[in-house]
Amino acid sequence: MTDKYQFTEDGFLLSRRRFMAVGAAILALLALPVGWLGNRIAKRNEYIKARADALYMDDAIAKYRVSHANPAIARYYSEFGGEPLGHLSHELLHTHFVDRTKLKS
Amino acid sequence: MTATSYQPGEIRGLIQIDALKCKGCDACKQFCPTHAIEGASGAPHKIDEERCLSCGQCLINCPFGAIHETQSALDTVLTKLQDPNTEVVGILAPAVRVAIGEAFNLPKGQLLTNKLYGAMHQAGFKIFDCNFAADLTIMEEGSEFIHRLHANVRQEPDAGKLPQFTSCCPGWVRFLETEYPSLLPHLSTAKSPQQMAGTVAKTYGAKVYEMAPEKIFTVAVMPCTSKKLEASRPEFKSAWRFHQQHGSDAAPYADVDAVLTTREMAELLKRLDIHLPDVAEYKGDSLFSQYTGAGTIFGNTGGVMEAAVRTAHKVLTGEELAKLELAPVRGLEGVKEAELTIHDQQLKQDVQLKVAVVHDMGRNIRPLLEQVMAGTSPYHFIEVMNCAGGCVNGGGQPINGSGTSWVAQL
Repeated sequence: MTDKYQFTEDGFLLSRRRFMAVGAAILALLALPVGWLGNRIAKRNEYIKARADALYMDDAIAKYRVSHANPAIARYYSEFGGEPLGHLSHELLHTHFVDRTKLKS
Repeated sequence: MTATSYQPGEIRGLIQIDALKCKGCDACKQFCPTHAIEGASGAPHKIDEERCLSCGQCLINCPFGAIHETQSALDTVLTKLQDPNTEVVGILAPAVRVAIGEAFNLPKGQLLTNKLYGAMHQAGFKIFDCNFAADLTIMEEGSEFIHRLHANVRQEPDAGKLPQFTSCCPGWVRFLETEYPSLLPHLSTAKSPQQMAGTVAKTYGAKVYEMAPEKIFTVAVMPCTSKKLEASRPEFKSAWRFHQQHGSDAAPYADVDAVLTTREMAELLKRLDIHLPDVAEYKGDSLFSQYTGAGTIFGNTGGVMEAAVRTAHKVLTGEELAKLELAPVRGLEGVKEAELTIHDQQLKQDVQLKVAVVHDMGRNIRPLLEQVMAGTSPYHFIEVMNCAGGCVNGGGQPINGSGTSWVAQL
């Protein structure tokens, strides 16, 4: 037998597998126009600013602007909660955290 | 026994990518704080749920609408609203009121507090403003900070760790728990406003509403997807444990029964034919709708710190700040800092306070945490929010205009 029927891959630049991967990456690039990310972030920041300004406005027009002056908070502590960091606060308003590197299922 | 980052009962895999819609464009990877999104360019992507914080930033930024939530309590809430034996309490986060208008074609940045109260009242909710709980958070977290500060100045042996980190943001808390567990003692032990609100609604609130706590169904309305995961944490059954100690034998219930995102609340109102822009304003129905300006700015990056500084100043000096606005912690700089000199009445000396505010966490937090690990952090108090801009840009906010809709417009 000669080597006439032996298969050798074309001397093309890329292997078949590599060619597919590059093709897919190019398609991904086409899906997202150049400059998309910058535009996206600029537009996002416009929304953040508008919403944030509205909350700062809510603060500016508020009757009380400091948490310790909230009469409802004073009522909560006097009628029920006791005092900040008190026994009931510890039980109801504080928590503990979990080292999630040590959890097992 | 395989390693996992979830406790039993916690919602896992909340955020998922639809492989059929994903173009593999990699946009989402730019917004993921933990590099949890896998997949080659051009191939459908997948989220590693062990690393995912459920923050939803990929979801609101996907240009193809290919990312969705796997859990929604919308139908459950609608059913509960119809149930005459249940009091449904709506816990309303600050950032919702300035964004939900967008879902009803109102211009961006409309403050709709009392209209939203009205709409929720019409739907059958009792109003519990999460800003009330934010004020409560400041009382607890601020007191904790002063406690830690004094213990450190006096060099007490068991002084709590400084810098103290804020603990309101569930994405940030989970990030620290999964990636920097050695720093957990720095986290304020104060619950987030959502969890405080749920607990208070079912303890003190049960008296205010004159209802049995097990008949109260708490629905948190949040700009955030990660709040769903937070509410499902198994330790958050404080109200149930409290009533159990006082003789109740009711079956276990969570402090927060359900979480709706801003998007889901808009959907709920639409399903009930309540058109938000036309609703009459409503002032609320209990003391739980009373809140301060300090509580409402919790929705902005820097807001928690600003609110804490206002109260800490009063507690330490005995006087209100002459100027309440803390300009250096406002705006969209990645890491913001402020320095204050406060005359501490109790210590009878001047104290130099240095605070930092971090948002867009994935891009900005690591250098500060490395400093803390090395013991070289110059700060006393650090506020961290996962999302760029804070909760106003949370993963549960309306996507119209600010997200995928630009594709639909093409």
